[in-house]
Order: sequence, then C-alpha cells, then structure tokens
Amino acid sequence: MRSRDGNRTFSLRLCSVILFNSLALNASEFLISYSYTVKDATLYNETLNISKAMKKCSGTPQKSFIFDTNGEKDLKKIISKNNENFINYIHKLGLHINHNDATQNYQQSSSTTLTLKTTCFKVDFNDNFAKISPLK
Amino acid sequence: MKYSLILVALLGFTACTAAEPAPTVAKQVAPAPSNVTVVCPTGSCEKAPEVQKVEVIKPIMPEVQKVEVIAPIELAEKPKDKEDVLDENQDLIIGVVGQGVAPMNTSSPAQAYALAKRAAVADAYRLIAEKVKGVRIDGQDLIKNMMVKRSTVRTSVKAMVRNANIVETTFKEGLCEVEMEIVLSHSDFAQ
Repeated sequence: MRSRDGNRTFSLRLCSVILFNSLALNASEFLISYSYTVKDATLYNETLNISKAMKKCSGTPQKSFIFDTNGEKDLKKIISKNNENFINYIHKLGLHINHNDATQNYQQSSSTTLTLKTTCFKVDFNDNFAKISPLK
Repeated sequence: MKYSLILVALLGFTACTAAEPAPTVAKQVAPAPSNVTVVCPTGSCEKAPEVQKVEVIKPIMPEVQKVEVIAPIELAEKPKDKEDVLDENQDLIIGVVGQGVAPMNTSSPAQAYALAKRAAVADAYRLIAEKVKGVRIDGQDLIKNMMVKRSTVRTSVKAMVRNANIVETTFKEGLCEVEMEIVLSHSDFAQ
C-alpha cells in the first residue's frame, strides 16, 4: 500500500538491501594459522599462513581488530604492513603453548612452540580500513 | 649339827616334791635321723633345682632429657598471608618475566631486538602456563655398576593462554626481558 508521501518505506528498504549486499559482497573469509618456535631462548622459526576460505565458515564474529588499509584489498599485504599489531592481536586471541624441556647429564635444552590453530576470520574491506574478526 | 639340820630340810623338800604327781606334759621329741632312699621312676633324677632367688631389679629409667622449648618458626606461628586462590569475588593477577636472546646472525640491532622480544614473549607465555596449569615432570636415571650413567629430567607444559598483557619490555646487552601479566577471574573457569 502506497503511503501519502510517496513510496518512502520502499526506497528505504531498497537502500538498506543494497547497503547490506555491498557490505556482504565485500566481506571475505580467510583461514589463518600462526606458529613460532623458540629453542633455548632463541627464536627458531615463525610461520604465518593466510589462505582464502574455499568453503563458507560457520560461527559468529568474536573480538575484532581494525587495520588501516589506504584502499588496499589484499589481506596479505595489509597484514605485512601491520605485522606487529596483528601478531599482538593474535596473541590476545589465545595461543596454544607446547613446551618441552630436557635436562640430560646436567645439560639443559628447551623448546617452546606457540600456535594459533587454523581459524576462520571474517574480513570486511572498506575504503580506508578493514575489520577482521575470528568466527567461533 | 648345823649341817645336819640343812640336810634334813633338803631331804624333806625332795620327799614332798616326789610325792606330788608329775604333770602330764607331752614332750615332743625330735625324730631321730633316718636314711631315706628316693627312687625315681625315670631313673634320671637330678637334684631338684634350687629355687632361684629372683632379684628385683629396678628398671633403669632413661634420664629425662631436658627439652628446650624453642619458639616455633614464624611461618608456623604466623601463617603466610592468604594463599592465592581464585575467588569468586576477587580476580587474581599473575605476573611473570620472560627472557629471550637474539640469534647471533642478525642483520641489524632492530632485528635482534624484535627476535629477542618474540622469544621472551614465548618464555613469558610458558611461565604463565606453568603457573596456571602446571608442569608435567618425568625423570629417569640409568645406573650401571653402582654408577650413574645417565640422568634425565624432562618437563612439559601444554596449555592455551589468552588475554595476557605485556607490562614492560627491556632490552639490555642482547637479553630481552618481557614482563607480562594475566588477570584470572572465576568466570573464566566456571563450567
């Protein structure tokens, strides 16, 4: 039914649908895993794997983080530019710790591995920033 | 004459005493010793054991040692302030200091700092995990010919830590120290 002031509700609905779709189309899902090993108090290796999800992930977005992108749409480049902040963010999300220490004939050796198990992240790209949040 | 009178008196007295009937007092007479022969049925009788004199020996009581009353140790007297227990009404803050060193072959001091800090953070996370969850320890000693050939102690920690915060970072002479703390609340562990 048409209202007196024209088709205002219809136009509002249409705009919201377009906006939602544009946001949804820009949102992508990525699988990210991170791991590093420290041997005898020295960093041994560090690995960050980023891959676009080939299947839709399930879950609701959790604690999010916002990158400054300056129009960049490639997540790997964005993360490499904000590497330190992103690593701190991953630490906050929670890492699995696996530590092994062996003392043989009074000689000690230790190995500590911190791992972020492969997690699906939802990334919303915008003009100047990107919002990333894990799905759980 | 005088002696004759005394003699007569004595004779008269004895005559009187002899005239009186003698009192019937049974006199017990010790039996005469006789030889007794004891025949043992077994034929191997020995002299009956003499009754041993039992000497009552006073039990030697140990001397009562003087016990000095020492004032109890302060720890026992004054229990340490309340043990850190995760309470429903109060959060628990755990602080650790992790240490890490830079590798030898770094291209710049900045890289050395970054790598040492990463190692220190990992160490701090491990310390938090040790404190919160605990450590598994395995030990093994190999002894051969009464000598220790090999002694091994293995420790392992497995945990998941989130929301730990870096409080302070220092880098001095290739050693990086990261002070971290984590706030534990009862709701984090409530099931």
